[in-house]
Amino acid sequence: MKIKIKSWTGVATWRWIANDDNCGICRMPFENCCSDCKLPGDDCPLVWGQCSHCFHIHCIMKWLQSQQLQQQCPMCRQEWKFKE
Amino acid sequence: MSSVRLGYGSDRLVSNSQTKKRHSSDEENPSSPLQSRNKKICLEAQKEDIENMDRQKHANFSTMAPNGVRSMGLGKSKGSEKKVLSIKNLKVHQVAAVDHVSESWACLKEAVVAIQESRKLRENLTQEDLYRCVDNLITQRSPAQLYADLRDLTETHIKSQLENFINSSGDRLIFLRQVNDCWTHHCHQMKMVGNIFLALDRGYVLQTAHVSSIWDMGLELFRQHILEEVIVENRCVDGLLMMIEQERGGETIDRSLVKSLLRMLSSLQIYHKVFENKFLMATEQLYSREGQRLMQERDVPQYLQHVEKRLNEENNRILHYLDPSTKRQLIYCVEKQMLNEHKTALLQKGLDQLLDQNRRKDLSLLYSLFSRIKGGLDYLCSQFNAYIKTHGKTIVINPEKDRVMVQELLDFKDKMDGIVSDCFCNSDRFVLALKEAFEHFINQRLNKPAELIAKFVDGKLKAGNKEATEDELERLLDKIMVLFRFIHGKDVFEAFYKKDLSKRLLLGKSASVDAEKSMLSKLKQECGPGFTSKLEGMFKDMELSKDIMLAFKQNLQNMSKNSTLPLELSVNILTMGYWPNYQIMEVEMPSDMVQYQQIFTKFYLGKHSGRKLQWQPTLGHCVLKAAFPNGPKELQVSLFQALVLLLFNTTDVFSLDEITSRTNIEDTLLRRTLQSLACGKARVLIKNPKSKDVNDGDKFIYNKDFSNQLFRIKINQIQMKETSEEQQQTEERVFQDRQYQIDAAIVRIMKMRKIIPHNLLISELFDQLKFPVKPADLKKRIESLIDRDYMERDKDNPNTYNYVA
Ligand SMILES: [Zn+2]
Ligand SMILES: [Zn+2]
Ligand SMILES: [Zn+2]
Repeated sequence: MKIKIKSWTGVATWRWIANDDNCGICRMPFENCCSDCKLPGDDCPLVWGQCSHCFHIHCIMKWLQSQQLQQQCPMCRQEWKFKE
Repeated sequence: MSSVRLGYGSDRLVSNSQTKKRHSSDEENPSSPLQSRNKKICLEAQKEDIENMDRQKHANFSTMAPNGVRSMGLGKSKGSEKKVLSIKNLKVHQVAAVDHVSESWACLKEAVVAIQESRKLRENLTQEDLYRCVDNLITQRSPAQLYADLRDLTETHIKSQLENFINSSGDRLIFLRQVNDCWTHHCHQMKMVGNIFLALDRGYVLQTAHVSSIWDMGLELFRQHILEEVIVENRCVDGLLMMIEQERGGETIDRSLVKSLLRMLSSLQIYHKVFENKFLMATEQLYSREGQRLMQERDVPQYLQHVEKRLNEENNRILHYLDPSTKRQLIYCVEKQMLNEHKTALLQKGLDQLLDQNRRKDLSLLYSLFSRIKGGLDYLCSQFNAYIKTHGKTIVINPEKDRVMVQELLDFKDKMDGIVSDCFCNSDRFVLALKEAFEHFINQRLNKPAELIAKFVDGKLKAGNKEATEDELERLLDKIMVLFRFIHGKDVFEAFYKKDLSKRLLLGKSASVDAEKSMLSKLKQECGPGFTSKLEGMFKDMELSKDIMLAFKQNLQNMSKNSTLPLELSVNILTMGYWPNYQIMEVEMPSDMVQYQQIFTKFYLGKHSGRKLQWQPTLGHCVLKAAFPNGPKELQVSLFQALVLLLFNTTDVFSLDEITSRTNIEDTLLRRTLQSLACGKARVLIKNPKSKDVNDGDKFIYNKDFSNQLFRIKINQIQMKETSEEQQQTEERVFQDRQYQIDAAIVRIMKMRKIIPHNLLISELFDQLKFPVKPADLKKRIESLIDRDYMERDKDNPNTYNYVA
């Protein structure tokens, strides 16, 4: 038998690489969006801090705005700096 | 003109130029104080005229023309040739002949008696002579005396008339005719007498209280001496009832006789007292018996038609001879006896059958008849509702009928809609009852209708579906949406819809993007954007994937060393959470494929950091170029089919075990794959031993003799027999999703309220959650959230929860 693949349509799923199942701020699973959003994925992305904790971007932004003095990670209380 | 005709016994009443003139002069002078009374007198005379004109038409008691003058002259043109008294040119010698009181009265008496006896008047006695006599007596004696004398004369005559038929032993009809003759003669006579004594009516009668007009005096006497004789009254009324009964029994009767006699009773003002009550009682008895009998003898449609016929007949009776004032009671009586008494039996016996057989004409009749009786439509409506629930349940409840459930639901809905609009006037309460019933029965079976509706839509949106035009498809989808609206577990629908949509998108099976989008917007409209956001996300992923592939190919071309890659790769990248959950599995692939896959993964993750890519081999598919001895073919296959076939490039025979170890495809999936390649329509492999199913130890051999008319061949995957497995997965997914939604709702409420009593929390949850849910399920979720420290019981009041921030 002589067979060659002419074309191949593959399927892949993507998800966030997170160190936890849930967002530490809104407590929703990372697979779902934050409580302000309707749709997970590109519309409600995750961000990582240099402390390696990660959150929904909408959650951490709200958190940081509510902090008057220092910008701290809500999980480890280290100063919050975005990774990269 | 001096010719006078006194006619009677004919159809026409007397015409007299002088009378006419007097009347018209009054008519022309609206300020005359006599006018109104005068009109009344004329009115009475007028009745006969109108009756004559109307004889061929309908009996009509109440439409006397208020203008009594107009038709007084009608008799002239067609005056009867017989019994006409003509007095010509007598003006010359009438001078003093009637000056004396006694002589005047003698003349008048002579004239009245002549009229009463239907005799000719003396040749030399003119109408004008008679007027003068009346004037003499009024001025020279007293009008009261004249009135009394006239009354005596009339009374004597009427009394004598009674003898004519009081002892008549003839049958009722003859008796009725005698009474009627007597009555019509009386009317003629009184009209002529009234004409002669016109001055008395206009002077004395008008000016004196409690004195009736001559016409009314005649009526009073007629009633007193004729109809108030018990024998006459009874025989007359009984005779009338008998005739009506005969007519109801189907015989033809002399309607004009009945009409004339009933009119007589009305004129004498005893219609209600002596006739109406007895008539209504007879009617009630007749229809009570008839209703009971026919309910036994006839089926419902026949019965309803009969009732309609009866109602028409009775209405006709009113038009033709009954007094219109009887209408309401008469019709009510028929409705009560024929319909109201049997409404329960009618619907129990007939409604299901009529609805089953879609007998629209009968149903329309049923509706119109039931709308006549009090509470009839409410009752019909509730029975209609009950029918839909019962019948509908049979459509959804039986698993053996699942294959046809949705089509039957659509047909049933069409049918019921048609009946409501055609037969039930599209009345709001029936529309509502229809909706309520559908919503009720469709949810009698958990989840299945939602699943089947989703699958039905899939069938219509898939390529190759034979629904002719886009318009037709659109209409069908609209109808589907109506069913969908009734479903309580809309998330079950969504889960199955999503599963099918993913197949359509990933396998390129969608018939039309427009139709897909249209369905999506319908769902959005129905359930809000939250319901469709993930479905829309799936379409978005498909678009994004195209862009990524363009960028990827650009990238490949830039890396020229890879330009020799032997196959074309495209990848659909799916966002987890939009799509159904797929089973993750690793399979063995040829190294060039693995390498290609790695290149793409690296490219993708380079563009999107923080992400993880999971390949889904179960969803992949390929186009293969295959060279068979009988000619080259292009095979459209799944990735698994491709992986199996690629093995045969090196060796012609493999055992099941060998294929398993070389591909690492999960056992059930592999057997299904092999079955499709060796036992399906296009058999590129041969199975040894031959059989329908793949068994342990089977060998698979490359089919050298494979041939097919087509160049491009699609090798279908064996349809998982609507695998209870797959189905369970979907249901499980729905269940998990519901848990998650309950949790999210609880947290949302707690966050807002901070402190909330248990009952209030539960009721808010019922408001928010859009799927059926039991209180026990909610309690479990609350416990779980307490365990996970999202909330706590209040220390003092365990029935209240506090939010834990
Ligand atoms: Zn969050
Ligand atoms: Zn968000
Ligand atoms: Zn941290």
